[in-house]
Amino acid sequence: VLFYEVSVGSVDFVIEQLVNGLTLGSLYALSAIGLALVVGVLRLINFAHGDLFMVGAYVFFLARLGGTMPYWAAGLATVLAMIPLGYLFERTIIERVVDKSWRVQLIATLAVSIILVNAFIAYWGLNPKMAPTFYSSQFLQYGIVRVAAQRVIVFVVAPLAFLVFAAFLQYTRTGRAMRAMSQNREACLMVGIDPHRIAGVTFAISTGLTGLASVLVVPLYSVFPTMGTLLTFKALAAVIMGGFGQIQGTLVAAYLLGVTESLAAGFISSSYADLVAFGVMILTLLVRPQGLFGRKVGI
Amino acid sequence: MRRLAWLLPLAVFLVALPALIRTGAPGIANYLLNNFAIQSLTWIALALSYDLSVGHAGTVSLAHPAFIGIGAYTAAVLTTRLGTPFLFNVLVAVVLVGAVALLVSIPFFRLSDVFFAIGTLGFASMAQIVAVNWEAVTRGALCITQIPRPGAGLGPVAFQVSNLTGFYYLILLITVLTVAVYLAVTTGRAGRALAAVRGDEQLAQAFALNPLVYKVLAFVVGAMLAAVVGVFEAHHVSVVCPETLGTFFTLNLLVIVFVGGVGTLRGVILGAVLFTVIPELARFAQTQAQLVYGVGLLLVVLYAPDGVEGVLAKVLRRARARTSLWRQSDDSKPREP
Repeated sequence: VLFYEVSVGSVDFVIEQLVNGLTLGSLYALSAIGLALVVGVLRLINFAHGDLFMVGAYVFFLARLGGTMPYWAAGLATVLAMIPLGYLFERTIIERVVDKSWRVQLIATLAVSIILVNAFIAYWGLNPKMAPTFYSSQFLQYGIVRVAAQRVIVFVVAPLAFLVFAAFLQYTRTGRAMRAMSQNREACLMVGIDPHRIAGVTFAISTGLTGLASVLVVPLYSVFPTMGTLLTFKALAAVIMGGFGQIQGTLVAAYLLGVTESLAAGFISSSYADLVAFGVMILTLLVRPQGLFGRKVGI
Repeated sequence: MRRLAWLLPLAVFLVALPALIRTGAPGIANYLLNNFAIQSLTWIALALSYDLSVGHAGTVSLAHPAFIGIGAYTAAVLTTRLGTPFLFNVLVAVVLVGAVALLVSIPFFRLSDVFFAIGTLGFASMAQIVAVNWEAVTRGALCITQIPRPGAGLGPVAFQVSNLTGFYYLILLITVLTVAVYLAVTTGRAGRALAAVRGDEQLAQAFALNPLVYKVLAFVVGAMLAAVVGVFEAHHVSVVCPETLGTFFTLNLLVIVFVGGVGTLRGVILGAVLFTVIPELARFAQTQAQLVYGVGLLLVVLYAPDGVEGVLAKVLRRARARTSLWRQSDDSKPREP
């Protein structure tokens, strides 16, 4: 399991596990669709994706440090800081490797991951930090279900973000250009789409989504430099299960993964919960490489 | 063979090294032996075993820590429970890891490129989870401790490692063995086949080479060599923990192989020595060292894809061209990573 729970509603065990699973699923989904977007548009796997989530978590922690900034403002500040960061990351590093072999891409993004993790360990140390909000300790009661208000915020904001994201891809010029690039890069050049601009925007959105993930779940969990490493693999698992680079499939796979992991942790053993995720990922790779919901092209 | 002429003086130097250290700097001899000499040789052996699949088969496996770890745990469990000798542990570990690597490689090599990397990463992560949680065998986070020093009794050829010099010669032997296997796999017929497979799989098939056979060969032999080092580490450090299987091991190996020069014997050896010596001399803390490695890896992969070996080969070529106009340079062209 990824994180220690800060607050757990003491209710019916199954519902509790489901609520945990949906929270975890929201985290995986927000991270995984950003990763899937990059995979779909740029044909590149960003192994530092989870570490960008970690950076977002620290940004949020800093924004909340004095306790003066309200939750929504700190959240907005975090997302707004993460978007240009993603753009900068693309311009400085990804742009140099995007046309090179997958080996160079793998190693460059792994190197960025090592750099980020160790820079944060050097500066902040390994001790977990907490950034709870007022809503982390407020509970809502529906019959026998008692849920932390923060989780309700997650359940409301995450789907909203997915809707906005889907609308962006479907209806805006840039969104359409991104879908076009995921289908045929060469043809994009012919119709006047600038791949460099689209690559930058893709990373900005991808990183912005991880920033939103940090804002939503960090109040429930703790913040530490290595928190992103496992998340990268979990998001990758969801991306692979969802059909490499497909947004909708990835979304469903991420929630499936979150709930399955939570139930496995609750009913079997928390120590083996991660085994489920990796096992399912490997099985998907071997048996259904087109993903659980198999569709052939495009994001 | 002239290309390998530098190996001979290096071997002589390495055999004489403990004596040199003990006479030259008796006060800090143990420190030098342990932190520089043994450490460098361990990384050389591991990095060469890793380079077989990364540099020569062209497949990036991220499962290497699992093989090191399985080797180490095999030795630890056998020797603490049954008191088996070192050579027996090596034998069991090599057979076991070879079998595991073979079982893993056959389905995974159906995956292309980056999916192979992801699949092996999944395998390595699962192996570590098992090492943490299978407490009946591995004692989990408590680690297996008090692994005795290596010894083997076979009448007149009995040996017992009793000090650091003993460990040094043992790892030197393992490293020499690794170099020999590395050369056997990467030169001659197998080496040419690997180069063909790495260059263009379809073209290799057209020449009746089965790419799968050579990829599996490099992968499994690399895993078996890693297992030997794992057994050595278990006896040397005398403790085996689940961290032995940590994925950061892969990152270190990638740093060594790519900064040194992927697919080249001299480059990988140089990389391993630099990797050991620089942080030790600079007195880096673990985190600082990792930070420097990360930056180094990124810079190399972006700006000098042939690593230190690429730069060195260029310098040597120029020097040779200056001294002898008629002699053709025979340094093999460095490869794209």
